Amino acid sequence: MAQVTVAASRPKPHRFRRARSRVPIWHVAWLALAALVFLVPVYSVVQFSLSGIVPGQNPFHWYLTVFDDSGFKSAFWLSVQISLETVAASLILMVPTVFWVHLRLPGLRPVMDLISVLPFVIPPIVLIVGLAPFLKTFSSWLFVRPEVLSLIYVVFALPFMYRALDAGLRAIDLRTLVEAAESLGASLPRTLMRVILPNLRAAIIGGSLLTVAIAMGEFTIASIMGFTTFSVYTYNIGTSTAYEGVALTFISLLLVWGAMLGLYLLGRGGRSAAGVAITN
Amino acid sequence: MATVQLRGLRRTFGNVVALDHLDLDVHSGEFVSLLGPSGCGKTTALRIIAGFEWPDSGEVLVNGEDVLGEPANKRNMGMVFQAYSLFPNMTAQQNVEFGLRVRKQSREQRAKRARELLELVGLASAMSRYPRQLSGGQQQRVALARSLAIEPSVLLLDEPLSALDAKVRVQLREEVRRIQLELGITTLYVTHDQEEALSISDRVAVMSEGRVEQLGTPAQIYSGPRTAFVANFVGTMNKLEATVISREDRTVRCGPVTLSVPDPTFSHAPGETVELFIRPEDVRLELLSNGGSPPAGLFEGRVTSLTFLGPVTRVGLTTDLGPLLADVSSAVALGLAADTVVAIGLDSSSLRSIAL
Amino acid sequence: MALAEAGLQADVLVAAAPRKRSRTRRWAFLGVLPFFAYISIFLLIPTGELIVGAFRTANGAFTLSNVKDIFHAPYPAAFEFSLELSALSAFIGGLLGFLVANAILHHGVPRWIRPMYLSFSGMAANFAGVPLAFAYGATLGSLGVVTTLLGHLGLHIYPSFSLQGLFGAALVYAYFQFPLMILLMIPVIEGLRQEWREAASNLGAGSFGFWRHIGLPVVTPSLLGLTVLLFGNAFSAYATAYALGVSNLVTIDIAQLVDGNMTLNPQDAYALAFGMIVIIVITIAIYSFLQRRTSRWLR
Repeated sequence: MAQVTVAASRPKPHRFRRARSRVPIWHVAWLALAALVFLVPVYSVVQFSLSGIVPGQNPFHWYLTVFDDSGFKSAFWLSVQISLETVAASLILMVPTVFWVHLRLPGLRPVMDLISVLPFVIPPIVLIVGLAPFLKTFSSWLFVRPEVLSLIYVVFALPFMYRALDAGLRAIDLRTLVEAAESLGASLPRTLMRVILPNLRAAIIGGSLLTVAIAMGEFTIASIMGFTTFSVYTYNIGTSTAYEGVALTFISLLLVWGAMLGLYLLGRGGRSAAGVAITN
Repeated sequence: MATVQLRGLRRTFGNVVALDHLDLDVHSGEFVSLLGPSGCGKTTALRIIAGFEWPDSGEVLVNGEDVLGEPANKRNMGMVFQAYSLFPNMTAQQNVEFGLRVRKQSREQRAKRARELLELVGLASAMSRYPRQLSGGQQQRVALARSLAIEPSVLLLDEPLSALDAKVRVQLREEVRRIQLELGITTLYVTHDQEEALSISDRVAVMSEGRVEQLGTPAQIYSGPRTAFVANFVGTMNKLEATVISREDRTVRCGPVTLSVPDPTFSHAPGETVELFIRPEDVRLELLSNGGSPPAGLFEGRVTSLTFLGPVTRVGLTTDLGPLLADVSSAVALGLAADTVVAIGLDSSSLRSIAL
Repeated sequence: MALAEAGLQADVLVAAAPRKRSRTRRWAFLGVLPFFAYISIFLLIPTGELIVGAFRTANGAFTLSNVKDIFHAPYPAAFEFSLELSALSAFIGGLLGFLVANAILHHGVPRWIRPMYLSFSGMAANFAGVPLAFAYGATLGSLGVVTTLLGHLGLHIYPSFSLQGLFGAALVYAYFQFPLMILLMIPVIEGLRQEWREAASNLGAGSFGFWRHIGLPVVTPSLLGLTVLLFGNAFSAYATAYALGVSNLVTIDIAQLVDGNMTLNPQDAYALAFGMIVIIVITIAIYSFLQRRTSRWLR
């Protein structure tokens, strides 16, 4: 009997590789739900801010009204000022300190880590309870100047600024750089300015962006102390004219989005867990 | 036990060709190592067999049946990963029992089998320890026990010893082989360590750039490399350029010397340039009396370096045929120094020639 | 003679070394003085003041009556509502955040999903406060876009629904809770080694088996811990609630007692603030305990 040799079967087309990479349906569902939750309010804001218009008027009527209002300009400008002051104060305070701790006092690291978590334990509403009377007696002059807000905001920016600087310093070999600079004759302040700071650029910018986001959006302290910052202004306007309030909301959205975009471009989306500021 | 056949496996990642029409036949109960440098495709091949990756084309046959259609968790193969594969929230015993638990065996059955296997790998005393309480070597033993618990038809090991200390590695590889022989399980072992591969395998597949360069027993691979890559990759090799004189006589001319290459596979045409390969241990040295000429069959050379390697000393030589390395016993090497003139003989039965 | 000299030399060396070290250390602490001074003035002392103030009468005498006042109306209701709102928003945010983080990390998902969702999460987590409240007003308020849409479909959510009610406010809070969870959960899920998944698969378990026996047991402490963290986060919230018009919340109550320059009822404010600190400290303790349990395995 002739031996029948079955020809080797043609290799099956490998549809399973694509099947293997197919995403299970429930993951798609959660991603879709998340997208919905993120975007529906944004869409509503845009939609709402462009509605309520009398036919014939500019669709951006509410935005124009807002921009025309002098109250808006001064509130916005005040917030910008305060934000910049907060960033400056924060950097001046934190950069040398974190640098010093890393270089000379590594034993203080746990203490610093603990302190950097404290602002979460003492939220703004709690802090103002203890701070207001203390500050009034401490310096009633400072108490009524908007600069006091910057000084207080430094506390809330602390966890994020510290974490950014700490991570940035850990990524460079600080001790070696400083010793190399010293052996070349540089003094310590000069080393800090010329050698360390340029290497910390990303950390500093990242921390600063978060600080700006916090300072621009802060409401609790500003409202209780009676300053008309951008978010206080938004609240005041929003409770009287809903449409303008929503237009202002969209502007806030753009600001936060801008800050986050800046952070993302800096860090390429890796360590974004650090990029969360609590301004609730 | 199972046979494994790879037919024409091909896999590319973008522009990189990881596997280039790979063919391999593993007999039942055999221990085959896939040996090669990083990037040669050996791990990719193993992962395709296990089911964690798929080829662009080709077949994987286990006992004659194509398994590529089956998902990884249905292939009944045991796999030992390089590191970190033990489940951290389970004890050694629970880890070993895991596969049996999935197969819904009863608690008594599982415990009995887990104990058996942990005894087999010598870790019965560590049954209730967690992975973080075990050393690297112990973890890999547990991983081995775990993979054997399900009585797989094929055992796959992906560089299981690479993350361990040298001494532990030597110890453990002997054990892996011992267990494999005891159970008679068809095994595929991926490694970049040639000593490992040569010492414990039935056959070794030397791989490079997605293909099998040579498949043979360890002795064949070591003494009879068939391509320049295998010759260079496995052990240390001397390389000399030579021109073929005669095909029938199997002679070549190397420098001023005529050498005969009694390799039955010699099939070069006269005039062809070939590369001669010979191992340092097959190069003989004899001291020359001052001013004397080398005895018949030997040629002259001068010592350029001496490297102490323990039991042998590697002697670097310069000759008219080219640079050579010779391994001599360290006792003999004591009589040598730089610039000493020596007589050199090549053990022709160990000469291999490969066309350039 | 030489021996004595050697001894003298040794003494000099010994004397010089430690003194130099401790002197350097003392000077070094000066470097962090500005920071600690600042922290004291703007954080530590005020906190101390309010903790102490919680136990002092207006005249400065020690008393427990402030703390006892917390248990009288309307405060218990405020605590209850705060705790409920925090728990609900933490639960919703925690669950959704975990599921979405897991989906983002699935190997088959297109590459651009991760950066897109992460940056949206960063944005949403920072968006809390007045703008968020107004955004939801525009969405689910009585004239909101979604409200109107649902109305067209026959679903009239008002008046039973309210953005100031438990469910409505929790929905608003979820907007910043669940992205926070995503960001925090991603490193935890990434800590589940690929080798574990492959080994489980190799031993016969499917995706469900992996999660049941390995994935969830390892991740659950962290999951719970982060949810507790979210709880603390919600509990501290003020601006969002205020702008939404929620009334019976602990933070809102405190604010009503501390109005700008006029501190209407400092004793009660101190006591309430003290109560908040206690609750937050407890949540952080629970969080850190649970987080440590997970990191044990993810090393």
